[in-house]
Amino acid sequence: MSAVLQAQELRTVLDTTAGALRAVDGVNFELLEGECFALVGESGCGKSMTALSVMRLLPEAAHVASGEVRLDGTDLLALPEAAMRAVRGRRIAMIFQEPGTALNPVLTVGKQIVEVLDRHLPQPKAVQQRKAIELLRAVGIPEPERRFDEYPFQLSGGQKQRVMIAAALAVDPEVLIADEPTTALDVTIQAQILELLRRLQRERRMALLLITHDLGIVAQMADRVAVMYAGEIVELANREAFFRAPQHPYSRKLFAALPSRQHAGELAVIPGQVPSLTRRFVQCRFVERCDFAFDRCRAEAPRLYEPVPGQRARCFLREKDAAGPLVSSVSQGAAESKRTDAGKLLLKVDELKVHFPIRRGILKRTIGYVRAVDGVSLELHEGRTLALVGESGCGKTTTGKAILQLIRPSAGKVVFDERDIGSLPGAQLRPFRSAMQIVFQDPYASLDPRMRVADILLEGMRSLGVGRDDAERLDRLAALLENVGLPPDSLQRYPHEFSGGQRQRIAIARALAVEPRLIVCDEPTSALDVSVQAQILNLLRSLQRRLGIAYLFITHNIAVVDYVAHEVAVMREGRIVERGSTDEVLRSPKHAYTKTLLAAVPVVPAAGLAS
Amino acid sequence: MPFLPVFLPTDVLFWFLIAGVAGYAAYCLRRPHLALPWRRVFRSGVALACAVILAVFTLAALLDSVHFRPRLPAEGSGGPAYSAEVLSLLDLALSGIRGKNERTYSAPLATRLYAKEVVEVREGPDAGKQVREYPRLRYGGAHLASEQDWVGDVFARVGAGLVAACVAAALLGLAVRRLRRRAPDVPWKAGGAALLALLVLALPIAFLAPYYHVLGTDKVGQDVLYLALKSVRVSLIIGTLTTLVLLPIAIALGLMAGYFRGWVDDAIQYVYTTLNSIPGVLLIAAFVLMLQVFLERHSEWFYTAAERADARLLVLCVVLGITSWTGLARLLRGEALKLSQLDFVQAAHAFGVPDRRILSRHLLPNVAHIVIISVVMDFSGLVLAEAVLSYVGVGVDPATTSFGTMINAARLEMGREPIVWWSLAAAFVFMFVLVLAANLFADAVRDGFDPRVRVGGAPA
Amino acid sequence: MLAYIVRRALYAIPILVGVNIITFALFFLVNTPDDMARMQLGTKRVTPEAIEKWKAERGLDKPLFVNRGAVGWEKLTDTVFFQKSIRLFAFDFGFAEDQRDIANEIRTRMWPSLALALPVFALGLLVNITFAMILAFFRATYLDFWGVTLCVAMMSVSGLFYIIGGQYLFSKVWHLFPISGFIGGGSAGKFVFLPVVIGVVGGFGASARLYRTLFLEEMSRDYVRTARAKGLGEAVVLFRHVLRNALIPILTGVVVVIPSLFLGSLISESFFGIPGLGSYTIDAIQAQDFAVVRAMVFIGSVLYIVGLLLTDISYTVVDPRIRLE
Repeated sequence: MSAVLQAQELRTVLDTTAGALRAVDGVNFELLEGECFALVGESGCGKSMTALSVMRLLPEAAHVASGEVRLDGTDLLALPEAAMRAVRGRRIAMIFQEPGTALNPVLTVGKQIVEVLDRHLPQPKAVQQRKAIELLRAVGIPEPERRFDEYPFQLSGGQKQRVMIAAALAVDPEVLIADEPTTALDVTIQAQILELLRRLQRERRMALLLITHDLGIVAQMADRVAVMYAGEIVELANREAFFRAPQHPYSRKLFAALPSRQHAGELAVIPGQVPSLTRRFVQCRFVERCDFAFDRCRAEAPRLYEPVPGQRARCFLREKDAAGPLVSSVSQGAAESKRTDAGKLLLKVDELKVHFPIRRGILKRTIGYVRAVDGVSLELHEGRTLALVGESGCGKTTTGKAILQLIRPSAGKVVFDERDIGSLPGAQLRPFRSAMQIVFQDPYASLDPRMRVADILLEGMRSLGVGRDDAERLDRLAALLENVGLPPDSLQRYPHEFSGGQRQRIAIARALAVEPRLIVCDEPTSALDVSVQAQILNLLRSLQRRLGIAYLFITHNIAVVDYVAHEVAVMREGRIVERGSTDEVLRSPKHAYTKTLLAAVPVVPAAGLAS
Repeated sequence: MPFLPVFLPTDVLFWFLIAGVAGYAAYCLRRPHLALPWRRVFRSGVALACAVILAVFTLAALLDSVHFRPRLPAEGSGGPAYSAEVLSLLDLALSGIRGKNERTYSAPLATRLYAKEVVEVREGPDAGKQVREYPRLRYGGAHLASEQDWVGDVFARVGAGLVAACVAAALLGLAVRRLRRRAPDVPWKAGGAALLALLVLALPIAFLAPYYHVLGTDKVGQDVLYLALKSVRVSLIIGTLTTLVLLPIAIALGLMAGYFRGWVDDAIQYVYTTLNSIPGVLLIAAFVLMLQVFLERHSEWFYTAAERADARLLVLCVVLGITSWTGLARLLRGEALKLSQLDFVQAAHAFGVPDRRILSRHLLPNVAHIVIISVVMDFSGLVLAEAVLSYVGVGVDPATTSFGTMINAARLEMGREPIVWWSLAAAFVFMFVLVLAANLFADAVRDGFDPRVRVGGAPA
Repeated sequence: MLAYIVRRALYAIPILVGVNIITFALFFLVNTPDDMARMQLGTKRVTPEAIEKWKAERGLDKPLFVNRGAVGWEKLTDTVFFQKSIRLFAFDFGFAEDQRDIANEIRTRMWPSLALALPVFALGLLVNITFAMILAFFRATYLDFWGVTLCVAMMSVSGLFYIIGGQYLFSKVWHLFPISGFIGGGSAGKFVFLPVVIGVVGGFGASARLYRTLFLEEMSRDYVRTARAKGLGEAVVLFRHVLRNALIPILTGVVVVIPSLFLGSLISESFFGIPGLGSYTIDAIQAQDFAVVRAMVFIGSVLYIVGLLLTDISYTVVDPRIRLE
């Protein structure tokens, strides 16, 4: 097979106030005819910038500094802009992460597909319209004739991404670049879109450059894989070889950090942070976080070595011999695993309902209700974790907030420690406020950017009267910071000085500060990279073990559930469809929805995590 | 005492405001996250240059905001008597041009009046005869032995001014170099250049002003330069005190509407839709007219004309404030709606933090940048509004010198042939420089504070 | 849609009542009718009888809010507030100080106002949007920089100077247009041309700059990147994709003032001697004719509320996501 697209020594620079940031720094890869090539990496590694550089669609602060991008031998970077426009959409098409914002909200779906045809293959209107409707049908949009005249807001998220795909494939491009095409979608929709992409790619013998952070998707889709770290490709391999025996220490760590049932013990973490790309490197970029670093790594930057034919890694250790297959860091002893003993019943939720009124008409009469939560019953024992699983909009977050009385329930009981708190007026809730706390999903929105960490942590203690005075509280905070793994000088700093993972630690510390017995964790790791997620999950588990806190763990990530939860409740459209122990629900699901949900999760092949 | 201090309400408020700004600056300096956006603002050369120009205007206004009544020479018995005329420090500083009134118009740097008058010839063969001619000015160029010396004299004085400016430039250069070494981030050069430009203009004028009317005189013979400098204070007072009235209303109502929602929101929205629905100028006019009648009925409250004029200025600020809080309130309401849904506010709820504290500790600091941007953006609009309102007849007291009254008076002379252009030109240049500097500074502030234009961000 | 319009129309009632309360409080509480009479008649040589007569002529001889002397509903209705307010609702504005019928004045004066305000509005919108699009197209170039600089400089000049300068140059020096005055019908153009140009120039800086910002904001959105990824040229992206989206925020500020165009422009009408509602208002303010001022306030509010309604309706035209409920 010959290469359709080749990137050679591609370097892209982003101008920031901190100086020139080398987002892509000497990337080489080739995309073969009809293959799916996956570019994998954590946020900020330069994978999206690589794709945008190929398309020459970089944001205004960025530019390609050097290198070549060859499409069938022509250097795209040397083309005049007008000629490049004839390539975009015609020969290389691209779809993006957020189908919600990537479509123009005020143009009909049909127009947005027709304009591609019109740009590259001018034909009579009627022919174009017929072609567009065919495309809509081909990407699995029901009633394409009707959808043709609809606007994006009338479609669901999955359908919008299908429309994006239809527009991208309208004129049969040779290359499709898909930048995190399913990250914004629910897991069942993700499965459908991936299936669609695979089918279309096969049918049209099109090369697919797939950009993702999810190793499960890579395992499902890719023929070949490149792992990016800090602006460089650190490993390049066939899928089978990669999942059998990843060669770069960073790749191996990524696997080890993935939560799953096989990992009964602590998840592996990658210490430290990605180095700032504004600096120049003479050494290996991974050296500060690598378990195997030696002197040479600090003095010299490795190139890509090829320890196994067809599998290359940017590591001196691979200069001569290959690494063996991955062996899971199996359980490091019972003490490190999930806490198993259950205490007494802490929380009992009975037929909880939260309905939001819909108001219409001249006098804004209530004409109906959105049943966000519609009869949820749960039980949670001291020191245990109950995972509440479901797709977006199923009401799981509302349930969590209703339990905490942040949203007052419309009906049902919330019994905490044998008291029905749902009926208590605001003032009498205060004693329970310190017993029940919450950790949110977005580490950037959950800390007030105008307050110092000390004030953030003290706020709850002051409000709920934990500790006698500020001196005593500050004493406690010192211990608390150590508990959640933050440096002691954090107190005087502001949230923006911390990374996402550190902020999540601050948020956990804030909840712990008032000594709660239950913490509602609302997707606490969804916004984080895999390696950081592992740190937070480890922290949550060790806190539970030491302090006996119960977690209501709200998530959509099944792998995380398997790792942290004792029990699982699966939620759909405001109701619990299945409840039971983690093993029961995940290994032998009863309800049809649970089965669909589990089937849709892209699985990292067991070989990669072989024990 | 040689003088009796007079505390006009706007003086007190203006000084209070300046003290507040200074306090805020000191507060910011100690907090890196508050100082950061300002640091970004002053990294722009244009912003620093504009800040220098605004500072000079502010200085003039501050000098003009310390008022007193000089003691009259003692006459007979009784306590000390004080003049009914209220003076300011600026008047003292400008004593060289203040009060040197001609009879009527005279062109800039002129030695003769603008209108012909019948005068008696004093010397020569025609002595005693009456002639219609342009009479010599009482003060402008009065020191010249012969009017033929005029060109040389003017050039000599301008030259002296420029030499002084060169000396100042050298000193300035040294200062800039030292400052650059201390804080290389700040574009001191631009600030120095702005100051230098002002000096190059001001020093020759300063050398000329005691002997000529550099910008001419107005209808009643007052020096236009003096009038223009006096107008600065009114502009700044209106541009700043108005926000002092507007901010508490806008912040309190905007945040409450967005945070509490429900009927509180409905009520506040009702109030501002109602206020908004009345055409702005009409509402202001109605307010001002009614308060004017009110002040006239209570003229016994004021001892001096200055105090009455000042009361009217204050009324104007209050009225402008009351009628223009709606825009900011609506902006803050929208922001409070967004913020109150954010997780950190939810977290505060989970701690049972009372609403009052959430509003003051979480919401207020997080909308501060919007408030600051809106204050600096509003300033120039208010300065321009003063001119229009004075034209409509609902602006400052007709006796107060302001750009609006200057334009208004000059406009009435449009019909003259040749045209009397200097009052207009003076008002135009002063206002333009002030408003342009304010606008450019406001732009820089918005860029510095608006998170949308921030590049980079937190480490990943 | 219809239900929505009806609801908005109903919402207008409390707002207009509010407007009435505000103006009433301003005109009759800050100063009592007696004070007003004394001010109008002059403070000297004024007899109580003259004051009573003055008040009776204007219907101000009743109690302000509550008539204790009356019975039943008349306690509330036979008052100055009720009588004055209810008339406004019926668009009965009474008479000005010069004894002319205000409603009649408004009917004849709104056409010259419109002849000036409408072209200023339409032409201004066209010029500003065009200029803003040009700047957005050439963003981050020298053209953009100097364009923005021009906008900032132009918005730093008081509108009065545009009028004075324009009158001086075009009418006094070059004698191209009459300095002021107005004749209706076909020759109106001659009188209106200069004020229209000056009106457009005066409003140019601030609006063009704002629209440029709105365009640039739209251009940073994801769908623009999608459009570029399709291979579309920059001009197509700007006209087909960005323009319609940018129109949504532009409409917010623009449509609401359309009905108020009837009120004319205060300053330029009085400078150019155009007998419209703007100069009428200014004259009334300067003559302290409160009946006229109140009438104009009321009409202004009504037109503003109509403007709000029009804004909402215009959204549904431009933005398919909005359906009025």
